[in-house]
Amino acid sequence: MRLPLSWLREYVDIPEDPKSVAERLAMLGFPVEEIAMRPSITGVVVGKIVALEKHPNADRLQVASVDVAGERLLTIATAATNVAAGQVIPVATIGARLPQLTIEPRKMRGVASEGMMVSADELALPAEWFEDGIMQLEPDRPLGANVVELYGLATAVLDVEITGNRVDAMCAIGLARELAASYGKPLRLPPFVNPGTLEAGPGRSPTVAIETPDCARFVAQRFEGIAGGAAAPAWMRIRLALCGQRPIDRLVDVSNYVMLETGQPLHFYDADRVANAHFIVRDARPGERVETLDGAERSLSSNAIVVADERHALCIAGVMGLSNSEVTASTTAILLEAANFNGTRVRRTSAELGLRSEASSRHEKALAPVLTEVGAARAAQLLVEFGAAAFRPHAFGRALEEPAPIALSAHEVNRLLGTSLASERIGRHLAALGCTIAWHGDDLAVTPPPWRRDLTIAADLIEDVARMEGYDAIEAVVPSVPSHEISSAQFELENKVAHALASLGYWEVVTHSLQGSQTFERGMQAGITPSHQSVEVRNPLSEDQRYLRYAIGPALMEYMAHQDRPVRVFEIGHVFMLDEGHVAESGTLTFGFAAEPLAEPSWRDSHFLRLRGDCEALLRTVTGRSGEVSRDERRGFHPGATAVLMIDGREAANFGRVDPRLSRAFGARLPLYLCNIYLDGLPDSRLPRYQPPSRYPSTYRDLALVVALDVTAADVERTLAAALGALCRSTHVFDEYRGPQVGEGRKSLAVRAVLQRYDATITDEETDAAMARAIALLRDELGATIRE
Amino acid sequence: MRRRFEEALALARDERSLDEVRVAFLGRSGAVTELRRTIGTLPPAERPQAGKTINEAVAAMEETLERVRTQIEARAFEADLAASIDVTYPPIPPQLGGIHPVRKIVEQTAAYFGRHGFAVVVGPEAEPDYYAFDALNIPSDHPAREGFDSFWLSDTLLLRPHTSPMQVRTMQQHRPPIAILAPGKCYRRDAVDARHLFQFHQIEGLLVAEGAHFGHLKGMLTGMCRELFGSQQNVRFRPSFFPFTEPSAEVDTTCPKCKGRAPECNMCGGSGWIELGGSGMVHPNVLREMDYDPEVYSGWAFGFGIERLGLTCYEVDDIRRFINSDPDFLEQLQ
Repeated sequence: MRLPLSWLREYVDIPEDPKSVAERLAMLGFPVEEIAMRPSITGVVVGKIVALEKHPNADRLQVASVDVAGERLLTIATAATNVAAGQVIPVATIGARLPQLTIEPRKMRGVASEGMMVSADELALPAEWFEDGIMQLEPDRPLGANVVELYGLATAVLDVEITGNRVDAMCAIGLARELAASYGKPLRLPPFVNPGTLEAGPGRSPTVAIETPDCARFVAQRFEGIAGGAAAPAWMRIRLALCGQRPIDRLVDVSNYVMLETGQPLHFYDADRVANAHFIVRDARPGERVETLDGAERSLSSNAIVVADERHALCIAGVMGLSNSEVTASTTAILLEAANFNGTRVRRTSAELGLRSEASSRHEKALAPVLTEVGAARAAQLLVEFGAAAFRPHAFGRALEEPAPIALSAHEVNRLLGTSLASERIGRHLAALGCTIAWHGDDLAVTPPPWRRDLTIAADLIEDVARMEGYDAIEAVVPSVPSHEISSAQFELENKVAHALASLGYWEVVTHSLQGSQTFERGMQAGITPSHQSVEVRNPLSEDQRYLRYAIGPALMEYMAHQDRPVRVFEIGHVFMLDEGHVAESGTLTFGFAAEPLAEPSWRDSHFLRLRGDCEALLRTVTGRSGEVSRDERRGFHPGATAVLMIDGREAANFGRVDPRLSRAFGARLPLYLCNIYLDGLPDSRLPRYQPPSRYPSTYRDLALVVALDVTAADVERTLAAALGALCRSTHVFDEYRGPQVGEGRKSLAVRAVLQRYDATITDEETDAAMARAIALLRDELGATIRE
Repeated sequence: MRRRFEEALALARDERSLDEVRVAFLGRSGAVTELRRTIGTLPPAERPQAGKTINEAVAAMEETLERVRTQIEARAFEADLAASIDVTYPPIPPQLGGIHPVRKIVEQTAAYFGRHGFAVVVGPEAEPDYYAFDALNIPSDHPAREGFDSFWLSDTLLLRPHTSPMQVRTMQQHRPPIAILAPGKCYRRDAVDARHLFQFHQIEGLLVAEGAHFGHLKGMLTGMCRELFGSQQNVRFRPSFFPFTEPSAEVDTTCPKCKGRAPECNMCGGSGWIELGGSGMVHPNVLREMDYDPEVYSGWAFGFGIERLGLTCYEVDDIRRFINSDPDFLEQLQ
């Protein structure tokens, strides 16, 4: 909300410095988003055109004699066409400084011009919001008076942010009230006495039948002798413009002005177009069609409340009036509405219709019913000022309720704030904000002022005490937190995993959990049908956010394809799938890399081996366990380079080279490798147990075995270890060879067995005998022969 | 042979050529062995003398060899000492990895709060609206629901727009005292720009205990900001409004870039303050919903956007960089 500082200063003595006022407002809970400084303007005074003649030498110019209460009249030539004798206008005298120019004596086609009559634009007001040509001031302004001071044009304009609970502060008086309380200054409010005393007969005096519980109050008032169309006086137009509100005509301007001043939105009806001056406030009929003031045809839902007469709706309550009762230049009598509606219904209606206005944004935050009388009174004062005849206002609806008192004790305040405020001080703070305090010993019964509907419980009052005391004044203390049993295990596991992967040379990335259909499409392109039913978002902002990811891999593939160079990455996050109609969410980890292809035979893939090494190292770090790796097939992985790692019979990880068709669908030039680990299903971390080494030396034997292609390295290691029994320290395949020397359909595996005893030095004889038994077993079980 | 040996030795420049000389003369099939073989051809009476002469020659050769070896070693050692490299030559890069800046900030925060007895809890991102709203004093017709413009998965399930559901989950599972941090991903239907993401991370803090008060909130958050941004950091609390806290406060911290001194600072816009997020005393309705007696227990909570903290912490120009996770971005922020 934009408010000129000069307006606030009419109600309360606050500093002139806009920065310090903005700072104070921020610390009261009303942050100032912008302070707009007005340009400096000097030398502009009120003048009156006493006479106007055609310029002797130019058809398009006129020469005015202007009275600025100086020693003599000024002669001013002008090209403006909206001037006439008798007008009161702003005059920039010689030496005046305007934003774009400085006024100097000059000759206009032979006539010496002693100044310039100025337009809104030249006063740094939006030109399109004001009359073409010279700005028209009120006829009763003192000639020679400084226009900038008179109209508050030098003021800074504050753009204040008001939180949703403080609709009472969405107006000049509301903010002035807060500042007055905070600065400890008196608030100067005009008396809001309604001047309407005339009585109109039946059928002309407004009556209201409220048929919905969602209209708490409706003040209706009749005015005569004022029509639409004519401009409001300059002071009002200028102030509205400073507030960012475009002046329209004096009736619209009055309703906007009163709303900005008191917070109460108003609506005017052409009295002749309201049957029998009888309003009916009712729920809209579903599908009821209306034409709003902006000329649009709209269909209402039953959320809307309408103000109607017996024939049809006249206004969408709290949102916008309808064309059928609009005030026009030929209107002779108007009816004013100052009403209070249910905020939720106004909010829903304005959302449904896509119609948000300054009025609806106030109605929807639950205005105080007490404002209806205030708003009507203020409007009546202004309309009377403009020459209208005001009739007596009539209030309908529920009687104004006295807010219920709230019990409060200094103990409660200090318990929540950590302060030691005395109850008198607390009472003083709340009284400054308009609360009525009744004392019960040292305890308070606080009745909030009627405009503060947000104050309902003690905590609300405590916030106001803190605001008045100043949040800054509350001492910052580090608490000693009592011990508790809440576990951080899941968080620590994730961090442990992340650091383990970082130390293995992987970079953590974050990608989007919401994806478009391109992931599935790429899969389909690669001949892969999705294995899971994805969770769909009902209201995505765009198509590429429609689905929740069911795996992290695709995003990493996309990332790596985009990088188009060897990268090593991981992501820890949640994945989602539909499981029998329910959303199943689990924590998962995917890591992997893109790597330059190696010059290796097709049966060897060192990248895969590196991936496996990283996977095992990670699981060992995190769980203290190692697992069994076996060959596997998975959607999305290369059919010949995929493995699963089991720990205690449960799958802990799967990994491998990404299916090259899928890599291609993702546009990856380099081969991709990925490993998935189910974080939620990892076995518990096991403490490592120390096994002391043997005191006796070990020995080793290397074997070159020729086996069939389907015999795995793991088979050889396992069988050899089993054969060596207690003498075996370790078995380890360290080379593989395929080629003409071993023949078609076979391969050679080099394996080292380390043998050692715990009770004595192992002898060569023992070793050789054990190896001979082992070779026999390898032959029997795996068909292995010793390579010659 | 002695002369030939001396000549060969004179040519030896390093250990290897020295060894070749040794093998050629003193090795198993070297010149000396050859010579010994000829002893058998001598008359028996001359044999002992011949053997003795050879042995003496071998001893002398070995001694010479050892002397030359020592000389060569000394030369090599001196040469090694005299070597010099260009220490500014680019290094061989190690295979580095690293954690995401979001995790770094969470860990730093968790370290601070951990020292003061807070646990760190994590939980689901798809939440029933009870956890995201109802239990947090935001009933279904509350306008604040629209402020959290959320992605809905069904009539009642949504992607959490804040981490506050973890307050509810933790309070349901435990009795006071509750002292937690809850970091995690959140989602809101925001148009993406340099300051907004539709997927971002928040870190939530909650303390519920007898005697927990607003001063404690100030104390902990001041400490946290000093941990993250430096010991000179100040923290400002401004009144605000959130449905689940009362009193409520916005938290600002001194602009770490200009320290509040540069009117043209592009990080704080010249205000000298950076907005961190919302905080406040847990609303009594929230405590009551958890069956905690608000007359006995009080609590405070806060929720900050982690990427926003990152923008400030690392002077990042555009919040989208956190989710693009470019290698250069990650490497720079290690």
